[in-house]
Amino acid sequence: MSTPAAPAHEADAERRHEHRFQVSESIARLVMRTTANNLPLSRDDRPYQWSTTTYCDTVNWSIFRAAEKGSAMQLRIREYHRTRPREVLNPGTAWIEFKDDEQDTSLKERFGVSMDVARSFLRGEAALPEPDHGLAERATLLLRQGARPVAVTQYNRLAYNSLDSSLRITADHNLMYFALPWETRADADDVPSPLGSLLAMEPNVIVEMKWYAELPHWAVDLHAYLKENTREERPSKFIVAMRWLLGETDGTKKTKKK
Amino acid sequence: MKAIEEAVRSDAPATRVVVVEDDQASADVLQRRLQANGMVVSVAHDGQRGIELVEELLPDLVLLDVMLPDTDGYDVCLRIKSNAATSPIPVIFLSARGEVVDKVRGLSCGAADYITKPFQAAELLARIDAVLGQARNPRTPRLGRPIERAPGERLVARVAITDQALREHVEQLLLSRFDLADSSDTPDVVLVEGNAALPADLPEDVAVVRVSTGRGANDGNEVVPVDAQLPRIVDLLVRERGLDHDLQAAAEALIVLAAAVGSHDRPSTGHGERVAARAVQIGRALGLDESARMTIRLGALLRDVGNARLPAGIIAKSGELSPEERAMLERHPILGEEILTGFKRLSGLLPIVRHHHERLDGTGYPDGLRAEQIPLEVRIVSVADRFEALVADRADRPAVSETEAVRILQSAVSRGELDAAVVAALATQVRSGGAR
Repeated sequence: MSTPAAPAHEADAERRHEHRFQVSESIARLVMRTTANNLPLSRDDRPYQWSTTTYCDTVNWSIFRAAEKGSAMQLRIREYHRTRPREVLNPGTAWIEFKDDEQDTSLKERFGVSMDVARSFLRGEAALPEPDHGLAERATLLLRQGARPVAVTQYNRLAYNSLDSSLRITADHNLMYFALPWETRADADDVPSPLGSLLAMEPNVIVEMKWYAELPHWAVDLHAYLKENTREERPSKFIVAMRWLLGETDGTKKTKKK
Repeated sequence: MKAIEEAVRSDAPATRVVVVEDDQASADVLQRRLQANGMVVSVAHDGQRGIELVEELLPDLVLLDVMLPDTDGYDVCLRIKSNAATSPIPVIFLSARGEVVDKVRGLSCGAADYITKPFQAAELLARIDAVLGQARNPRTPRLGRPIERAPGERLVARVAITDQALREHVEQLLLSRFDLADSSDTPDVVLVEGNAALPADLPEDVAVVRVSTGRGANDGNEVVPVDAQLPRIVDLLVRERGLDHDLQAAAEALIVLAAAVGSHDRPSTGHGERVAARAVQIGRALGLDESARMTIRLGALLRDVGNARLPAGIIAKSGELSPEERAMLERHPILGEEILTGFKRLSGLLPIVRHHHERLDGTGYPDGLRAEQIPLEVRIVSVADRFEALVADRADRPAVSETEAVRILQSAVSRGELDAAVVAALATQVRSGGAR
């Protein structure tokens, strides 16, 4: 059972701030209660659904290495399911996502397509419609350099969005990281890929704040509260997943984002 | 661009559900709930109509009440499961009967799940998702298929009998189990009459069965009588012959393997078996099916069979090899493939034999393949081979611990040599004590 029908294209208007915090469940509950008093629940991210994100990288891990240095273009496929799937790239609707991640800010663009088109795009066979920020072109270049799906995250997300999309606050829990065997070019059929080994599970909650210009005053207070109570300032889920995958630390020690 | 736009417009096909529920109000509620979640729902109010709907629509799922006016749900479920056309369709019971015995009975009828009324819609939807997920087709093996026909596939026979009446009679008998060869087909078996000469264009390596309207041996040749048992007997003879060939091929390959004991840079005693066992474990952890794991096991055992064709001095040499010796040694995957190419049944493991020294970044040998060109089974054997070499003593260095070996392999992953997910599966095994 896959994601309901998705619009074709979503993109950030411009680069936006993005800060991440790893907090306990009780802190997260307080934060999200405050958030719920100020922002509406996101209709696109239904509570309790499973978000499965498949990340791509090259054999020499060029995307991960760039991300570790503070600036990278992530290429990923996202799926939504009511129950946690044990496979990725399942038939149904998929989101091809590009995220240009830099210190403190990010720029994201995504396309809702059927999974066979997403697979075709990964194989370098399908082009995407007119992109907004040139991210699709960069992603295509990465694919030409051999980027393929390598790691997967799965989690439940609770998301609140301001009506004008200027502020978004999310809480991700039940976060799990999986390896994914390298796909051969012959894997051109519609058979989903079974998840590889479970690399790690995160017991806490990841709260993310994303905003364009200025935070409203209540959100400034919330940001400060999160900063005070964070267990570890942490890098992106992509970096954490890749560190686990490559056995380079326990995944969360290094900090690139604040 | 057009492909994307079209794909966006055409969503995945909706899940089709047949609901068999005698209570009108419950059926309506259920129907609305499922339709609201994008499913196409058909409703039957008694068992007979339910079975008809299922046979007619072949839905993705059946939701079945136990208590029905004309029969019970167990009976309906059994009927669905005993019809080859409808048996793969998952059935979920919805019933107010919540006793263990009711659930056991429902599940024993072949139902995929049993939900007790009253239920929450969210629970029902989650269970539907889980059941549909399980019903999805299993993954097919990745490596090339054996050349022979799959079990159950019909064999091809040619009837080379000059007497027209007898030929037509034999062909008629064979049709129940065989396809008849036309001039372009290569048959699996050729049938000739009694002591008649074999056809001049008889293909190599094809089974020949002599048939007769009489009984018994004929000039020393085994003759099969032409009667109703003919197709069964010919079928058995052909398959038995195939098995004999396989066994012979396997025995010969294993003899060659035994002759290929040892390699230049790896300890020999039991190394092949350890690699095979480790590779199979990794394959299991990665969800490969039994057929793929068997390919991995045989491939791991035979991967260095090409060493049998190298000079013994190179194999036995300890320490550094000269560039010439190194070049010769690096031909062993090609030599191994040459040795095994003649064995049709082993064709599926040739990629392992030829490519187990390839690296994802293209720096391996003999073909310098890159990541996307190397099948998963090959990548698994490569990792198992290197791991087992590291944890064994060698003349020039002692064994390292399993944890240290994993760390070394993770470094190789970072350099782009090995598949990260395969090494991660190995690391998980090692962390959990990895019993062989």
